[in-house]
Amino acid sequence: MADLDPVIHAQARLRIMAALSGLPDGDRMTFPRLQQILDMTAGNLSVHLTKLEQAGYVDVAKSFRGRTPTTTAALSARGRVAFDDYTAAVRALLDPSKES
Amino acid sequence: MTPVDDDAPPASPAESLALIRQEQAAVADTVAINPLAYYLPWGVAWLIGYGLLFLRYGPGGRIFVPLPDWLPLVTLFALMVLAMTSTMVVSARRGRGVQGRSSWQGTAYGLAWFLAFAGVGSTTGRFVRYLPADEQGLLWACVSVGTVAVMYLAGSAIWLSRDMFVLGAWLTVINIAGVALGPGWHSLLISAGGGGGLIALGLTLAMRERRRRG
Repeated sequence: MADLDPVIHAQARLRIMAALSGLPDGDRMTFPRLQQILDMTAGNLSVHLTKLEQAGYVDVAKSFRGRTPTTTAALSARGRVAFDDYTAAVRALLDPSKES
Repeated sequence: MTPVDDDAPPASPAESLALIRQEQAAVADTVAINPLAYYLPWGVAWLIGYGLLFLRYGPGGRIFVPLPDWLPLVTLFALMVLAMTSTMVVSARRGRGVQGRSSWQGTAYGLAWFLAFAGVGSTTGRFVRYLPADEQGLLWACVSVGTVAVMYLAGSAIWLSRDMFVLGAWLTVINIAGVALGPGWHSLLISAGGGGGLIALGLTLAMRERRRRG
């Protein structure tokens, strides 16, 4: 398991990356909805989103709708590549014959 | 491998894969529309509404069932209002907490339906008075069904959906056939083929969805 990206290979962050990878291209998910889908506390989600953002895997944007701040997140291009690589590596570990 | 913090790694590759599938499916549910709530109410509205029109205003002016003359249209419109309500609820729930391209696609497509019917309705309303009574009903029906068909064809291009294309093409074909056959027959074709087709599509998509989830 030495090859697995340590930023993604952690339960909370893997779940965040997987959820964001399920969005159609060009879409972003709001923080509260992401929190609801992942059933994580706001603090926990915030910590891990920041780590993913620092790694350049997730693009976090803050905007205002009226006076209400909205935070949205989406995979960055780099994050999508890293997630695809991670998924391929995990598949290869499960079935080495399919390793490319 | 050194973990970058206290967030424990998944126990095994299998668990990693299971987590990925679980969260991707949860998000797919958020983004997808419920095909039953989307297609079924329209199918039922057409099946019953156009079915009653056929029974009351049959081919060649035949009355198969002596219903009050106002009943078929009132029923059709009431059921269409219910269907529109269902569509709006489904569309509003879809993509809660999702912003960006897909929400713009949905909003623009929804507005396009209203604008299409505003244009087509005002034009038809202007000229329909020059026709005999039975042809007036046919004109309203074929223009409406034709517009619905075009909207589904456009939808198939937006969402790359073959099902929507088949539905739009099928509605176009039975609409043309119904216009050729004339008043009465058009109602029957739209009731059975259009209403039935919408119901069949809703059920097919729902079953496919269920099978996909295993």
